[in-house]
Amino acid sequence: MERKAQARAAHAAMSTALGAVMLLGGALGAQAQDKTEITFSYLWGGAEGAALEQIITDFNASQDKIVVKGVSSPDMTKQLASMSSAKGAFDVSDNFASNIASWANQGILLPLDEFGLDTSDFPESIMKQLVVDGTLYSVPIATHNFQLVYNKKLLDEAGVTPPTSMAELADAIKKLTKVDAEGNVTQLGLGLTDISAGLKTLGYAHGGDWNRDGKPTPTDPGFVEGVKFYFDNVVAPVTPAAYNKFVAGFGPYMSDQDSFKQGKIAMVFEGEWRAKFNTEAGMDWGVVQVPGKTPELNGSTWADVSTIFIPTNTGNKEAAAEFVKYLISPPAMEKFSHVLANLPGRLSLVDSATYDDIPNFKVWLDALKNPNTHGLPPALYMAEYNADLASAFDSVLQGAQTPEAALQAVADRTGSYSQ
Amino acid sequence: MQSARPRPSEPTGRALLKGLAFASPFIIGFLVLYLWPILASGYYSLTDFSLFKAPKWVGLANYERMISDAKFWKSLYNTLFFTFVGVPVDIAISIAGAHILNQKLKGQPLWRALVYLPSIVPAVAAGFLWRWLLNAQYGFVNEILRWFRIPQPNWLLDASWGGISVIVLMLWTVGGTMLIYLAALKNVPQELYEAAELDGAGPLRRFWHITWPMISPVTLFQVIVLIIAFLQVFTQPFVLSKDPGLGTQTATGPGDSMLSYSIYLFQNGFTFLKMGYASAMAWVLLFVTLAITLLILWSAKKWVFYDNR
Amino acid sequence: MTTAEYQGAALGERVPVGGRFGWLMTIYRYALVILLALVFVFPFIVMLTTAFKVSDEIFMAPPELLPRTWTLDHFIGALTQIPFFRFLLNTVVIAGLSVLGTVLVSPLVAYSLSKLRWKGRNLLFIMVLATMMLPPQVTLIPIYMMWNKVGATGTILPLVIPAFLGTPFFIFLIRQFLLSVPDELIEAAKVDGASEFRIYWSIVLPIARPALITSAVFQFVWAWTDFLYPLIYLNEEESYTLSIGLYSFLGEHGVQWGPLMASCVLFTLPAFLIFLVFQRYFIGGIATGALK
Repeated sequence: MERKAQARAAHAAMSTALGAVMLLGGALGAQAQDKTEITFSYLWGGAEGAALEQIITDFNASQDKIVVKGVSSPDMTKQLASMSSAKGAFDVSDNFASNIASWANQGILLPLDEFGLDTSDFPESIMKQLVVDGTLYSVPIATHNFQLVYNKKLLDEAGVTPPTSMAELADAIKKLTKVDAEGNVTQLGLGLTDISAGLKTLGYAHGGDWNRDGKPTPTDPGFVEGVKFYFDNVVAPVTPAAYNKFVAGFGPYMSDQDSFKQGKIAMVFEGEWRAKFNTEAGMDWGVVQVPGKTPELNGSTWADVSTIFIPTNTGNKEAAAEFVKYLISPPAMEKFSHVLANLPGRLSLVDSATYDDIPNFKVWLDALKNPNTHGLPPALYMAEYNADLASAFDSVLQGAQTPEAALQAVADRTGSYSQ
Repeated sequence: MQSARPRPSEPTGRALLKGLAFASPFIIGFLVLYLWPILASGYYSLTDFSLFKAPKWVGLANYERMISDAKFWKSLYNTLFFTFVGVPVDIAISIAGAHILNQKLKGQPLWRALVYLPSIVPAVAAGFLWRWLLNAQYGFVNEILRWFRIPQPNWLLDASWGGISVIVLMLWTVGGTMLIYLAALKNVPQELYEAAELDGAGPLRRFWHITWPMISPVTLFQVIVLIIAFLQVFTQPFVLSKDPGLGTQTATGPGDSMLSYSIYLFQNGFTFLKMGYASAMAWVLLFVTLAITLLILWSAKKWVFYDNR
Repeated sequence: MTTAEYQGAALGERVPVGGRFGWLMTIYRYALVILLALVFVFPFIVMLTTAFKVSDEIFMAPPELLPRTWTLDHFIGALTQIPFFRFLLNTVVIAGLSVLGTVLVSPLVAYSLSKLRWKGRNLLFIMVLATMMLPPQVTLIPIYMMWNKVGATGTILPLVIPAFLGTPFFIFLIRQFLLSVPDELIEAAKVDGASEFRIYWSIVLPIARPALITSAVFQFVWAWTDFLYPLIYLNEEESYTLSIGLYSFLGEHGVQWGPLMASCVLFTLPAFLIFLVFQRYFIGGIATGALK
């Protein structure tokens, strides 16, 4: 859970900027390998890393041809540096689906089709993100999606029931937003801990899609409406100035000063990793599926994927593929996603009782089967498009531009994106 | 002080060899680290180049694209804003501070050290420190403004203050310029002030008629140095705007108000892998720098006073 | 520019004072200068006191300057959560090698530009001046490509080698200094039959000591505080400098202000100590106007 959260609120500029650079740098020392020994370098650390080590041990014990050595290496730039040299430091590694297209395009990911992996159990929204031009380059080990998390205590105090429609959401926001006598916001009905993820979710809930059919569609009517919903219902009523002043006081994500934990925001679109954090933080909290503009749109969200891949410069692709097969096998995946409080990437695991001990987890699990869960087709232009969207969102939250104008400005730029 | 007397008879050929030998590291450095890269970047600027694949010739397309790239203009505007607000304020504060330091004071080395101290703080540390100082809720800058009943802006999250925050951070390291002016003030001949005082000139008149012209050559040099520094600003806005805890993927500040030219160039080159476009932007920066520098030098005739005594 | 002036010794006190209210003026002057110093120093005080506050107190509105409870936790956290000493060592190595390169090479070039008379000298001097003005962005990408081609990205070579090829600023600085050294000293040695390098090594270098130290301390601080180049060239955490380490520290842990301020204190401290020890060389370098 930690790792996903960190990657979201954190790795940000550093890894995108450097990651690209390091694709090039081929200076990492190559490492000699035994034929039966392969290295699995993973970005996780701490408890998550320990869980992976357990799975590696299980694998090593399950057969006698391959020995996997696990290395916790939380630095994405290092990961890339290794992959761009002639001989890499690892044979299997993990990352997010959003990087897959660009990496596949640079030729640093090994196509997986030849290994005959069974992908029929992976949800459609997940598969969509892993296949680049008809070729499979990575497989899911965990998935993520966003639902409406709420602070039960604050809702009860205001006499609000968890919203199940867009109209109810708007009404709840109104009742849960508090402004003091001087016009300072003291509580926001609906907050954003990740601006882009939250507004994109709202776009889906309005029947929109910001990336339809593999093309950037920033002016998609539903998407614009979603952004507009947030501005009209959250920002405008308190004024953009007051909104941003309040937001300036938000502490670090998932720390003691976390805005949701502190009760500064009553509701927020959040990923499943929050379930563990909220509970461990001793919060009285709940979650409902994202309310839709129409009943058909209820549960609209989008899925992100933690994927496993084999770099092109592996010294032992057969053994690596063997291990990948094991990693994504139902028992291993279940064990892993459970420890991290992440979602599995297999439909057959959705109803598993293993996850029952994580409070409220069901809401996120069910989304795996929901046709309203969207996946992002891999695209080369993602870094640029996301940067432009972030600027546009910011401009809207500043009250500097209307959602229509801000997103039109993004549309004007899409012509120059890398294709 | 340049001695004009030639060395006693040395064959020119030998002298040339000797001179070149001593200068050879820099000659190599110039060719490898300056001349060749300048030419190469000129070539890249005319290509479509993603680092991984060979450059593809596109002529002036990159330059043409700039014209319609709103972010390019925004970054240029921001950078010129930093420069044209920041440099004059920097100079003004430096001159004022130098006057304060130029009084009869005990512990001169201490005072000089204190004003210069921020200049040795790593820009990354300075950036983080000021993010904290400028925080709208917990920051001391707004707390001080509150004492004086001055309205407190939302420095880092308000588009109209983002650029000013960058300038404030840059002005924290104004101490270097201040000390340069201090040295310049010490070099103004005391007799000039005494004569002016006899003529009954007040402090303001003395400043405009004696100090300002006498330090104007320093001003010229400092203006140019500062303009170059401000036009290239990268680290300060980069750190100041980085992910304000909201999962923003970009370091551009509210309303892109901290998107400096260098940051946008860096983004294009190293994040979006558009090396050709980034190279073209570098060339435009070179021309903008040259144009502004030449303009200042040209205007110098009108306001810089050269002491020809 | 004389040696004395250069070292900042000539920055004496001048403006005359007098009158019956001299003491009032004295108070006024000190009040002014204290206010001025406070503006520059106050952020340091905040940095320091925040580093000693417990997390709950850091997030307090309105903020208070002094911690109610003092804690060393953030310093311990900074030293254990990030490989601080590893980053410190890397930074020291890079800064140290850059200083070595600078004091070895820049005076050589400066000597050639000031004391040797040869055809093309002026052209070379113009080249030095021109490179001082060049925005580094122009050369950034091709130089990166070049280092990548020879497999040096990810190593410290791209950060260190330029110093061994002469840094324009320091060449300029030392040249200006050497111009003030009388030629007679050199001529005399020449008459005694000393070789050019011997003259350079045993006469010129010792005289140029102040300028060399100024160059060295500035080079040190520049290397110490550099951000963009380590950001581009260093890609393994083991080789990170403090600048990059601190920056990624924010990336991996969110903005944890306590540990962050503590690391900023630790990061600034060495540069601060260098400054205290070599203060007059800093001020001297600044007074030449070439450096800031």
